[in-house]
Order: sequence, then C-alpha cells, then structure tokens
Amino acid sequence: MIKPTVHVRTPVQNTTHMLNRRLQLAAYGLLLLAVPSPGQTPDQALTLVTSEGRDQLQTVTLDGRRMVALDRLTGPFDLTISGERRENSLTLSRDDQVIVLTANEGLVSVDGQLVSLPSPPVEQNGAWYVPIDFIGRALPLVSDEPLELRRRSGLVVMGNIRVPQVVARYRRTGQQGRLGFMVTPAIEPTIEQQDDRFVITFDADALDLAPTNLTPDSLVVGLAADQNRPVVTVELGAEFGSYSSVVEPALGNAIELVIDLKPVAPPPPEPPRTTLQRPATPPPAAQPVPQAPAPSASPAPAGAPAPRPAEGDPDLPALSELAAPRAIRAIAIDPGHGGSDTGTSGPGGALEKDVTLEVARRLRNAIESQLGLRVVLTRTSDTNVALDERAAIANNNRADLFISLHVNASVRETATGAEVFYLSLAEYDDAARDLSALAAEPIPVVGGGSRILDIVPWEMAQLRYVEESARWASTVADELSLRLPMSPRGLQQAPFRVLVGANMPAALVELGFISNPDQEAQLTSPTFQTAIVNGLLRSIIRYRDEAARGFMAPMPLDPGTPETATPPGRLQ
Amino acid sequence: MKRELGIYLTLAVAAVAGAWLLFVGLPQWYAEPTADETAEPTGMATDGEFVEATLFYISDDGMQLVGFERRLRREPSLASQARRVVEAQLAEPPLPLLSPIPRGTRLHGLYLTDRGEAFVDLSEEVMLGHSGGSLEELFTVYAVVNAITVNLPTITAVQILVNGTEVDTLVGHVDLQNPLTGNMRLVADPDDAPTEGEDLAPLSTTPTTTS
Repeated sequence: MIKPTVHVRTPVQNTTHMLNRRLQLAAYGLLLLAVPSPGQTPDQALTLVTSEGRDQLQTVTLDGRRMVALDRLTGPFDLTISGERRENSLTLSRDDQVIVLTANEGLVSVDGQLVSLPSPPVEQNGAWYVPIDFIGRALPLVSDEPLELRRRSGLVVMGNIRVPQVVARYRRTGQQGRLGFMVTPAIEPTIEQQDDRFVITFDADALDLAPTNLTPDSLVVGLAADQNRPVVTVELGAEFGSYSSVVEPALGNAIELVIDLKPVAPPPPEPPRTTLQRPATPPPAAQPVPQAPAPSASPAPAGAPAPRPAEGDPDLPALSELAAPRAIRAIAIDPGHGGSDTGTSGPGGALEKDVTLEVARRLRNAIESQLGLRVVLTRTSDTNVALDERAAIANNNRADLFISLHVNASVRETATGAEVFYLSLAEYDDAARDLSALAAEPIPVVGGGSRILDIVPWEMAQLRYVEESARWASTVADELSLRLPMSPRGLQQAPFRVLVGANMPAALVELGFISNPDQEAQLTSPTFQTAIVNGLLRSIIRYRDEAARGFMAPMPLDPGTPETATPPGRLQ
Repeated sequence: MKRELGIYLTLAVAAVAGAWLLFVGLPQWYAEPTADETAEPTGMATDGEFVEATLFYISDDGMQLVGFERRLRREPSLASQARRVVEAQLAEPPLPLLSPIPRGTRLHGLYLTDRGEAFVDLSEEVMLGHSGGSLEELFTVYAVVNAITVNLPTITAVQILVNGTEVDTLVGHVDLQNPLTGNMRLVADPDDAPTEGEDLAPLSTTPTTTS
C-alpha cells in the first residue's frame, strides 16, 4: 500500500505544507461542514484518524448511495484536480500519480490500474461525487501512508497508527448480565468504574467500534465509543451492583474482555429447588425430635434393625443427583451427518456434513493446542456413522462433555441464527421418562452388606445428566450469542436421538441456517468458523471452571421458565 | 348330474358373492367418506356432522409452527377420527399456508393402543422428501404428534413409523424410537393455536349435540 513517491509540491501546496497539520485538518473540517447542495441528504460524517488527530469527512446520500464530494478529499489526501476538465471525465493527481474518473463509469483508473467501485462517480452541478469506497479502494494506491476505510465504524485510518476493531455484545441472563468485547488485534484494555459508568480505555490511537444493538435494561443503559479518545463508555443502570472481569485470549490474534455484571442486592434467598432436586433436610416441622421417647403401642422388638435415618427416606435420590460433577478432561465433538447422509444443503451447494466436519476439526485443534484437553471426534472423515454409535464413541472414550455440531435449514429463506439444544424429557412418553423405573438397585457384595448400583438402560443414559446438560447448553448459548447471530430461541430442548445415549452432559448446536444465502456464505467462511470455535472454546473453559467450583447454582430445567429466585451462594 | 350342476352353480354364486363382499362390499362399507375439507367454513350443516380441528403449518418467518382451525367430518370412532386428522394434516394446505410435511407423504395406517398411544405409519416420502434441517424435522414430527394429541386428548402420545417399521429418526435428529407427547413450545402463540377448552373444542368420539 505504501508507495515510494517523489514529493514535488506546487507553490500552493508548499504554503499549505507549512501549516501545522492539525490546523490544516481543522480548516478542511470547516469546509466539509458546508451545507450540501439541494437534492442531497447529508449523512453522518466519516471520521478521518491520523497520527496528528481526527477530523470529519462529510458525506451525502445520492440515489441511495453514500458519497463524498471529491473536492473535500483533495486537502486531506493531497490531491489536485486537473485544470482541464473533459466532458464526462476528471483527472486527479497526487505528485506524479494520476487518477482518472469517468462519470457513470464504475471503473476508475488509478496510476494505470483499474479499480472497481460499487457505483459510478456522479457529476452534479459541476461538482463530482464518489462512493466512499473510493477512499478505501483507490486512494491507498496513491498514498504514501497506509490508508484504510472501516465502514462499520465510519473511520478512515491513515498512517501507522493503532486502531483495533472492537465488537461489543451484551447478554442478560436472569439477574445477571454479561458484556463481551472482542478486540482485534489483541490490545488489552483497562477498566475503571466512575460512578454509574465503566470507562474502558485501550492503549490505541482510536477505536473501530462496530455499532452495537444493545437493548437497555436495569444493568446496562448504553454503550458508546468516545469521539476523541480510545475509550468505550458503558452507562450502568440503577440495579448495577458489582462486576468481575477477565481477559481471555481468542483465536486470530484477538483477545476477549468479559465483564460479568451483578445486581445491587440479590433477592431474598429462597431454598433452591428444581424439579429434580430435593431439599437437603426436611422442614423442621416434619423432623422427628431426636432422643425423644416415641410413644408406641408396639415397641420394636429387640434386635430389630434400627430405624432408617431421615435422609434414608424411601424415595431414592433423583438420578441427576447421582451424577456428581466431574473434572473435564476429554471432549467429544460430533460433526453431524457424513458420507451418504449429506445433511441439509444451501442454495449455493454447501453441504451440512462438510461444514460440521470443518468446524469440528478447527475446534479440535483449538482445544488441543489452547486447553490441552483430550478430544474425541465421532468421525474424522466423510463417512456414515449411526447416531447411537456416535454416543457410544463418546461413552467408550470416557468423554466428559459432548457437543454435536449441525447446520439448520428452513423452507423460509429468511430464517437465520444459531440454536443450542439439550435433551428434553417432557415429550417422551411417561414410560420412557419414568425416573422411578430407573431407580438404583441394592446389590449384595462380598463380605456382607449391599451396594447401590444404578441400573439405567443404555439408551436412556442421558437422563441423569439433563440438569448438567441444561447448564452446558446454556453456557454454549451464552458464549455463542456474544459472537454469532442467534435465532429468537437460542436455547431449546428437543428429543434429539444423538443426545439420548450420551453418558455425559451433552448439547447439540445448530450453527446457523444454511438455507439462508447470507448464512451459507458465513458458515463456509473461515472468519465465521473462527468465531464459532472461539465461542465453543470459551464455553468449555467456563463450564470446566464452574464444574471445578462445584456448580453453586441450580439450573432451571426449562429454558422457557423464568428464574424465580437467585439461589443463595451464587456469585455475589 | 343335475344335482351336481346345482351344487356347482350354488358354489359359484357363493364364490361370486363372497368375492363381491370381500373386494367391493366391505371396502365400500368401511371406506372413509369423502367429505369436503375446506379451510374456511362453507356454511354446510354443522349439526354434529363436522368438527373443528387445529392443524399445524409453518409460520411466516419459518421459525415456528402456527395452528389453524380446519373443518373436518366427524367420524364414528377414535381411530377413524385420528386418521382423518392426520390425513388432513398431510394434505397440501391452501395458500399461503406452508406445510411442514414433505409433499407426497401418505398415511399407510394408524393404530391405537389401550395405553392411549397412537402409531402413525407414514409413507417413505416423509423421509425422502425432507429438506434435512433439524428445525423442519421437529416441525414435521410435531405437526403430526400435536395434530393428534391436541385434537384428540385421549391419545396422549404418538409414535411415527415409516413404511410399517420403527425408525431412529426421519433425517438424523428427532428420536422416533419412543412415543412422543405433544410439544406446544414450537407453536407460535397460544392465541393462534387454540388450546383445549379455549377456542378449540377438542374432538371427541362421544356424540355431542351442537346446534
């Protein structure tokens, strides 16, 4: 992009050159603020960022296209409009380099090279307008400094300066909220809380902050980049109480700043209780008074077995309670479909089985290299593997987490977004989900006594992990939502066969709708796949860490049920 | 000789009558009446001859099922009523409704157990004609399951068979090895999909008098 050029300036340019660069930019800024001609719609200006400072480049909308007047580019970019204007064409020069524009022609000649523009230049009342992409496509070829147009944030970055791209996401989960900032390239920010706001400062010259579709709530009211400093300000809501933050490395020379927000005061504690959990002790009223002489019409005969303690009540513990959280050492990744089972396909011909295998391979590499965990793939090539066999591979390899990767499709082309599923019991017929039928069985052991052995049909192995799977799926949905477009129902339950036999917490992810042409392009692009891998990697880290802490909070089993209480012992 | 001829003639007549009974009479008597099934009320008699049933189609955004009421002929038995409901659900809906069932799918048979389960035997088009996405597989399965369980509440669970045999899934996702109960979480809005006791009068095999 940087071209060695011989600087031979005209007397007029020499005069300008003597001015302080900042004053020069300010002068052009005044020019740019001029009222646009009739028939044009003024836009929000682009911001030109250089090592000297910032300035505004006013743009206008002509025929629905965002354009910039050519004479407003001449100053900041040292361009000269040629004295002789031919009909329908105009020549610009910068030093000894020449740019030739032709009205109503989408191709521009830049120093002998042809550059295409999204729309042709327009001549209107003697003034020439070019699409803003002219700045990013044509001008770098004649600039002796790096020059870049960042469309999303409306920045024009000139010179060797640091302007990291920052993508901010916010997600509310029950009482708590989570802010995520993906920073590329990796520049670690500092966070400071000033009254009712966070000031997040980056060691950079400017920030390329993508617009954020944040829905204000009681924890976060707004989020914006400072116009003049590399600072993001987060306005906090009335219920904000405290926060914790962590910076994690992400793939692609990026880092992620994650800020967990907690409400000011947790609601009054109530006993945690879900459908699969019982209170640790019975309510006091129901407790027998210890040592009290129990009036009894027929005293127990001598030698009779002692009465069972209270915790030995006839109803056996729920299966989910029997599955103690375990350390996460191995991950099973299931690339959906394969071989003659192509899965679904996109309008451009992309196949689900190829997308899932590619993402699975990337995820395996990332887990092995960054987390050092063992990874089991249920298929490593384009082969048919039966659904039950996939669960069996995970079981036989003693995987601690199972994730099945799929791609969705809809007859409606507009359908879009990722979805995360865990197994539902609700839709199974009573006989299949009758937990009492899967009760533990006392088996005599050598030396006397007995031992409780769980007898669970193989195909119902997942039943005991439904609560942990809900937590695992919820973590995956949380992390993906920071990076990918999600469907309106990002977390769901469904009776998916591949999950039924998994003897570990298991989730199935639909990464997006391949039937949507935009999503098809995303799902096959390395950038999008990297975002998926980052999300899943982060999910595994979070789940592993929370499992190691012993899961302080019970997980609601129904994704549609709002949280009714914040359990005691949950994060402050 | 004359007597033998008489016996032969009698046997022949009996054979013809038997064949007629077997191939023409019985099928005719047990055949489904070809009722006029229209999406809109036609103003035809409503004196217990027709019932309203909720059938399930794909929403405009493709992300949910939407329930629509359709008018079906009342049948004399639970099994035949369930068959009629499923056949209506399999049929191509009037525009702009979009069916979640692959085109050409037919109902081979429907069987009820005394446990309140229905086994619905569909033709192979339900697998071969499928787009392959899990969401649409959920829609296909639950359009059938919900159509039965919502409209005929005495049937509590439905298992789908394909060409008379059990299958793991239709296209690789939804477990069909067990009977499934209804799932209204996939259905757009309670107002669009009337539930029992509200806008929709659940179908019943017990005769009811309507005016």
